[in-house]
Parts: sequence; C-alpha cells; structure tokens
Amino acid sequence: MSPSVVFDLLVAGLITGGLYALVALGLNLQYGLMRVLNVAHGEFLMVGGYLTYTLHTAWGVNPLLTVLVTGPAAFAAGLGLHRLLYARMLRAGESPEHFASQSLLLSFGLLFILQNGALLLWSSDLRGYSYLAEPLRFLGAVFPANRLLAAALALLVSIGFYVFLRTTLAGTAIRALMEDQEGAQLVGVDVRRVHARCFAAGLAMATVAGSLVSMLFELTPFIGLPYTVTALVVVILGGLGNMLGSVLAGLLLGLVETFSVQFATFDLRVIVSYTVLTLVLLVRPSGLLGR
Amino acid sequence: MALLGLALLVAPAVLTPYQRALGLAILADVVLAVAWAFFSGPTRYLSLASGAFFGAGAYVTAVAGGAVPWPLPVLLGGAVAAGLAGIVGALALRLRGPYFAVFTFGLAELAKHVLIWYETRVTGTIGRILLAQPAPVTLYYTVLALAGLAVTTAVLLRRSPWGAALVGIGGDEERAETLGVNTTALKVAVFALSAGFIGAAGAAMAPRWTYLDPNVFNPLVSFQAVIMALLGGASTIAGPVVGAVFLGLASEILLVKFRYAYMLGLGAVLLVVVLALPEGLAGLWGRYRSRSSA
Repeated sequence: MSPSVVFDLLVAGLITGGLYALVALGLNLQYGLMRVLNVAHGEFLMVGGYLTYTLHTAWGVNPLLTVLVTGPAAFAAGLGLHRLLYARMLRAGESPEHFASQSLLLSFGLLFILQNGALLLWSSDLRGYSYLAEPLRFLGAVFPANRLLAAALALLVSIGFYVFLRTTLAGTAIRALMEDQEGAQLVGVDVRRVHARCFAAGLAMATVAGSLVSMLFELTPFIGLPYTVTALVVVILGGLGNMLGSVLAGLLLGLVETFSVQFATFDLRVIVSYTVLTLVLLVRPSGLLGR
Repeated sequence: MALLGLALLVAPAVLTPYQRALGLAILADVVLAVAWAFFSGPTRYLSLASGAFFGAGAYVTAVAGGAVPWPLPVLLGGAVAAGLAGIVGALALRLRGPYFAVFTFGLAELAKHVLIWYETRVTGTIGRILLAQPAPVTLYYTVLALAGLAVTTAVLLRRSPWGAALVGIGGDEERAETLGVNTTALKVAVFALSAGFIGAAGAAMAPRWTYLDPNVFNPLVSFQAVIMALLGGASTIAGPVVGAVFLGLASEILLVKFRYAYMLGLGAVLLVVVLALPEGLAGLWGRYRSRSSA
C-alpha cells in the first residue's frame, strides 16, 4: 500500500471521526453527568438532519446556517423534555440504579416516538440534497468540500465545548458535578438546573451533528440507531464523563472504521464495534481511558 | 382459571381461521411477556435480548423443521436459545444496570449480522423457505401448551426459595450474596430458563411465515416483551398476561393498518407507564381494590 493511500485513508478517517466525536460528546454529557443513557440520541441526530433538509429544500436556507436554528431549537426542546420526563424523578429521590433503568426505558419510548413520527412526516424514502459536493484539495488529498467543512465544524464545536468546560465558571460547575454531586451541591451548584442544561446541550449537539450529516449522506428515519451504537462505543472507549476521551476515541473509531472498510471485503462494522464494546465492558468496565 | 383453560382448549373448534390466528399471536405474546418477567421482573435486570432468543428459535425451525417431526423443532429451539442465554448470561450478568440492557440490546443486531455474514459466506444464500409446515390447529395447541407451561413455571418459581432469592437480588444483590445465595448461578439459570421459553415460542411461531431471513432477529420483539410486561406489571404473575393480551390485541389490529402511528403510540405508552404507572395495570387494579375495600 502506497503512502499516499495511507494518507488519504488517514484524512478520511479523521473526517468520519470528527462527526463521531461530536455525537459521542453529546451522549457523554448526558450519561456522564446524569446517568441518563439516552438511546434516542441518534434519533435526535436524524431529526436534525430532516429539519435541515426541510429548511433547505422548502425555503432554500443555506444548510450551514440551519445549524443556527436546529441547535437552539433542540436546546429548548431538551429543556422541555427534561422538565417533563426527568425532573420529577430527580425530585422524588430515586436510587441511582432505579433512575438509570427508568430513564433508559423513557429514552426507548422517545426512540419509538421520534422514529415513527419521522416516518409519518417524511416517509421511509431516501431524502437528500447536494451541497458543496465539489472536490477540494486538502493536505495533498482530494475530498468533497462538504465533508471537510462538516468535520471542521464538528471538531470546532467539540473543542469549543471542551474549552468551555475548562475555562468558564459554568464549565467548572459541570465538572464539579461529575466529580462529586454532593460536594458540588454544598458549594452552591444548582444541580437541577445544570442537569437540565447539560441534557439540552447534549440534544443540541446530536441535532447539529444531524444537520451536518444531512449535507453528506441521504437520510432515512432509520439512520439514528447506528449512530447511537457508535456513540455508545466511543463513550465507553473514552471513559464515562471523560470529554477529551470521547473526542479522542471518536477520532480513533473513525480511523479504525475507515481502514477496516478498506481492507475487509464484507461490511463487518457492526460486528467489529460490538466486539470491541463487549471486550472493553468485560475487561475494563470503566472504559479504556477511564479512571 | 379452569374455565379459561377449557375455553382456550375448545376455542379452535368454534373460531374462524382469522380469530384463531389472532389467538395464536396473543398466546405467543403471553409466553414472551411471562418468560421475560421470570427473570427481569424480580431481579430488575432489564433484558433486551428477547428478540435474539426469539429469532434463534425461529431459525432452528427454519433449518431443522423439514427434517424432524413437529414438536421437536420447538424443543430444539428452546434448547438453542437457552444455551445461547447461558453463554451470554455468564458474560453479561456481571454488568449492572444500563450496561446489561445495552449489551443485550445489541445481541439481536449482532446475531443478525453474524448470520448474514455466515449465510453469504458459507451457504451462499440469505433466507430460507419453510416447507412441510404443521397444521394451524397443531400450532395453536403447541403455543397454548407453551403458554400454560410458562404461567405454571412462573407460579412455581415464585413460590420456590429461588423466587425469593431472585427478589433478593433485585433488592440488593450484595446482601443476597452475603446471605448465602449463589447469585451468579441462579441468575444464569433463570435467564436461560426464560430464554428457553422465548426461543420455543420463536420456533413455534416460525411456520406462520413461509419465508424466513435474518431479519427475524427483530429488536421490536425485545421491546414488545418489555412493554407488555411493564404495562401489565412485571412484579406479579397476572401482570405480564394482562399486558400481553392488551398489547397483543392492539398490535394485531392496529399494526397492519396504522403501522407508524401504532409504534409511535407504543412509545407514548412506554413513557406513561414509566412515569405514571410504575406498578403497571395490575398495580392500578390493586390500588383500586384496596381503595374500594377501605
């Protein structure tokens, strides 16, 4: 294999990985902080994709600019959902284990509602549009411009969020909550508010990722679940609550996937990622980069 | 109870073929929900592997159905699913909470992909046609027997010391272990027992389709088992039966006509049950009774 092919695959893997990082970051924010394992995460991505599709094809809005609509809309929806579904359970003071399994069931309910809602609204036909598909030279390799743009945006949001966590007071509060909920409460962190906002921010990240995905691939109402599974693998690889770990593991998984698709004649992706997940769970239940 | 059993026994003689098929589907749902609740009800381990076990059973019938006389594929299907559950359980039952659920959820998808891979690589075809199917009435009695057996097992298990130990595991697993329960062995055994019934149901229902492919490993089956049991109330015996009859009827009638709207409604039902009916319909009935008697 020539060095230039390796380089092409490397860049392609990092582009895929950039999207995975953003999707996984959102999931990790919800799971790492609230122990809400949101299996409908990918469905929010799917809905984000359809919203961008509709805004672009029906009103001619630039797909990139739709992010300014889908992100905030998802954030608002997230605050509402948190209030409706989780706030009461948090107030009732359920045991963490019970809360975890109840919220898992709730997110399965959301999955059904969103997926079938999308089927009713947009049908199961493939939906797509072409945007910035012309090739662009990047670091000596040639890629469609939209892929580079999407990956750059995804990484920008991911890194921006990481900087936010590290440098601002609100970010410090979130990190404090992940470390020690009671301690954070003692120093005056409003747990319920931070929870609600983190849940909403996680949804917004998934939805924005969906807007970006819609520029690259055709949509069906079924694209969500594979992203959820990938995000889960990434989160578990990178360690629960470890945001930097999610970004790194996302890039890593993008690389592994790109290379394995290149060399395996058959699509073994589901089998590979599930095997990785199983091994990690059994050998290191706290994740590869976990504490 | 005896009256109901008798009615179910003579039912095929008076029902139209459509009604009999409906009854068959509901009885299979009862097996699914009751068997799911054997294990997941008391222990609170949320298993989403039912689709994998059901699919494994169905595939056994597809592969072996023509070669051996009828009730044998059902037994074989149950045995294969129980064996699968034994392996999965030994690996996964040390995971607690959401991890176990996620692990089991991926199982149906994994089984499907492994099977597609195997079929394309080794046998060169995907999917099988089912030949030499048993008569519909035979199927009805097979599934009726399974349902009766499942309910009986649930009752016996609940009254046995193991039943109490399972509840202990659901309450506080470490304490149960300290009190001398061999939790691992018990969990794996009951998980396999539950899977055996689900696999047998899959094997018995397979002849309903004339053609079977790896898509029979359907995650929807996993959800249906959970939703039926929780809707009825997973901690009682009657709960999963009630939930299965209720949702089984609803799905057979609505699924064909309003597929997406029905599944959307199913999601909404799940939200309502989790948020407002933690004890299920059976719990609601209990609350109503205790209030009216007070």
